[in-house]
Amino acid sequence: MSVTLTKSKPGALEEVPLIKGNQTFRSITEKISEITERKTALTWVLLFSLAASVALLFFAQIGYLFWEGIGIWGLQNPVGWGWAIVNFVFWVGIGHAGTLISAVLFLFRQKWRTSINRFAEAMTIFAVIVALVFPGIHVGRVWVAYFMFPLPNQMQMWPNFRSPLLWDIFAVGTYFTVSLMFWYTGLIPDLATLRDRAKTRLRKITMGILALGWRGGNKQWKHYEMAYLLLAGLSTPLVLSVHSVVSTDFATSIIPGWHTTIFPPYFVAGAIFSGFAMVLTLAIIARKAYGLENIITIQHFEKMNKIIMVTGMMVGYAYGMEFFIAWYSGNEYEKFAFINRAFGPYAWAYWIMITCNVLIPQLYWSKKMRTSVPVMFTISIFVNIGMWFERFVITVTSLANDYLPSSWDYYSPTIFDIGLLIGSFGLFFSLFLLFIRFLPMISMAEVKGVLPQADPHHYEGEAHHG
Amino acid sequence: MKIDLNTFRLSGTEPTKTRFLVAGILMLAVSVAGYFMDSHQFFFSYLTAYLFWLSLGLGSLFLVLLFHLTGTRWGSVLRRIIETAAVSLPVMAIFFIPILFGMHELYHWADPEVVAHDEILRAKSGYLNFTFFVIRAAVYFSVWTFLAWKLYSKSLEQDSNPQAEQIHAMRRISAPGMILFAITSSFAAFDWVMSIEPHWFSTIFGLYIFSGGLLMALSFIVLFASDLRRQGLLTTTITTEHYQDLARLIFSFTIFWGYMAFSQYFLIWYANIPEETIFFLKRGVGSWRIISWVLVLGNFLLPFIVLMPRAVKRNNIALSVVAVWVILMHYIDLVWIVMPVHHTQGIHFSWMDLTTLAGIGGIYMWVFWIRFAAQPVVPVGEPSLDESIAFTNN
Repeated sequence: MSVTLTKSKPGALEEVPLIKGNQTFRSITEKISEITERKTALTWVLLFSLAASVALLFFAQIGYLFWEGIGIWGLQNPVGWGWAIVNFVFWVGIGHAGTLISAVLFLFRQKWRTSINRFAEAMTIFAVIVALVFPGIHVGRVWVAYFMFPLPNQMQMWPNFRSPLLWDIFAVGTYFTVSLMFWYTGLIPDLATLRDRAKTRLRKITMGILALGWRGGNKQWKHYEMAYLLLAGLSTPLVLSVHSVVSTDFATSIIPGWHTTIFPPYFVAGAIFSGFAMVLTLAIIARKAYGLENIITIQHFEKMNKIIMVTGMMVGYAYGMEFFIAWYSGNEYEKFAFINRAFGPYAWAYWIMITCNVLIPQLYWSKKMRTSVPVMFTISIFVNIGMWFERFVITVTSLANDYLPSSWDYYSPTIFDIGLLIGSFGLFFSLFLLFIRFLPMISMAEVKGVLPQADPHHYEGEAHHG
Repeated sequence: MKIDLNTFRLSGTEPTKTRFLVAGILMLAVSVAGYFMDSHQFFFSYLTAYLFWLSLGLGSLFLVLLFHLTGTRWGSVLRRIIETAAVSLPVMAIFFIPILFGMHELYHWADPEVVAHDEILRAKSGYLNFTFFVIRAAVYFSVWTFLAWKLYSKSLEQDSNPQAEQIHAMRRISAPGMILFAITSSFAAFDWVMSIEPHWFSTIFGLYIFSGGLLMALSFIVLFASDLRRQGLLTTTITTEHYQDLARLIFSFTIFWGYMAFSQYFLIWYANIPEETIFFLKRGVGSWRIISWVLVLGNFLLPFIVLMPRAVKRNNIALSVVAVWVILMHYIDLVWIVMPVHHTQGIHFSWMDLTTLAGIGGIYMWVFWIRFAAQPVVPVGEPSLDESIAFTNN
């Protein structure tokens, strides 16, 4: 059957092509490869210097932390988990959008993912690297950090397998490994393209090794696609499991505001929400800087904005349910925890969270807002602020006012808390800038797959018309 | 039963309709007799049966909303079946009335005597009181009826005179509709199910009930379409490709249900707070313990493993068996939630379980068939229909 054209049908919506500007296979290759082949631009050098300096600041502070101990943070009794945990959850969450775009949207046959999946996956990997720093440095005595792993030893000492902190190691570790494999598998055909285009011998050899002998034959593509499908299948449960496990760090406790059954799906929705906002922020900048307007179109942005809107409302649903059930439970501690959040000493943080996560994304009801680049850029940043504050509200408010009023205290960060958060962005952006400079930031092979020419029946129509 | 392939209308549906109507009335009449024999048992059986059929309507309504919001094309051939299952939902408002007469049997908090001596229930009485309960139910049904009816009538309008405007209109309704659906279905789960144990609470409970309903609706579509297929109807319209995708959705939502069930059980088990663990302790008494395990293995593990191979998803008989199994498990899930409140010592089977189930179901399916027979069985005006018919997975 050859019923593929729906445009002529009565009552059909007009279809906008995914990729604009009458691209050919060649023009896509040229456009994307060229970014990694041209001479390094001065702007890039300046930006990288800035990011790398901030990253250096990050490592310097970590050095001081190792020397002095975690007392340099604002941690005190009863708030034993401060910004380090907030930052950890924030960065792990950011990663989720990459996996969702590359794996879940792939399984859902969403073709528009092809323009954004590569750098979303890269973002995932870098975000997880940054995230892993925080629990690593939080252990205090970092030289015995290997205690976290269940390593056989002569003392018969094992970590507590019932501790969610141990599950974190497994969950995030698996996540990182699978994401890296998925990302690299996707890169192979594009690396081969770069190898074939290489002008210098060094580049040819480097890219040649990285491309693992890819020749682009039928058989290779067949295996490649099966591997890709299997990795997508493996990554999909990870989208749900990683942040579910992170949520158990809080939810397995008996602390009001932490222990509630909706936490796993609620954390996952929040992670996707913040991750999409970060992808959007990065995509807007990269698109502008490298003139990728035809490949990453407003249509792509609009779809991402819709996902931000949906996941934002899921998070809003969870806020609402928590609040309602806290009242409904009839348990005065539960009730207090939530009233304290909204009207207590940290009310300012709570309302920043509500404003950024629930209220501001409502602007996206209007198509004009969904398709305006300045508006979505602003919103994407607000969402990330809001999601950072969500983790702050969860972590700090429940601890600061616990069961024993005599031990209540107000938590304030020190300069090192703030410095490490800023520094973590430095590390993240350094890695990301290196990525866009040296690797194809858009999957050429996959974008070509969604061009009209890739349809096996594409040229039949033309022959028909004469 | 015959189909006119130009208009996609059925004829000769009268015997089917009559069978459902007669079965429904007969079984309801027998159930009423049961009310006079053991009113407690009657109401608990009735509530379980009620939730079972309600979940079909709500699961379907969700799918209709989802189809419009995502612009689903592969499934356009299935849309009319789903819409019809959703638009039959208002009949459940009538079946809700008996529940109002069974408030004392079902909901402790409805008894002022009990509330007066119970501090926790007094704290909740602002929400858990008869008047507000009825008002909320009225709101839920108004929302569901409005959404289902509005989308159904737009879809019929599209049949006769397809315009792009209808697609826009259906999307415009579905976006806020989805929000209303999320709120109302969760609160309905709190009101009608969770509050039979009024001390207990769980924030994920609304999603848990919702995930079961979705499995119910998807399995129903598989069975219903397969039944048409066995009668030689729509055999080239709803193809193996559509069954494969439906099976994938059942597979995914099996995992989703497992995820919800696990999150709820695990966090409560781990924190071990008596006011929460009571729910699972009750379901660990006597033979209820067996049912708890049946759910873990039968509602999650078995469909998860069986639905994994492509061959099963593309074999209509195998898939139908799985769908029957999933529906059976969904019913057992509801029994497991509702019945331990009444039969605290273990499983207790009553004939009223069956008669109420068949009674409400008979009428629900009768209403379903009246609509289904009156209109084209696929959305003939939907622009993506041809694409959906020709859809392949490769």
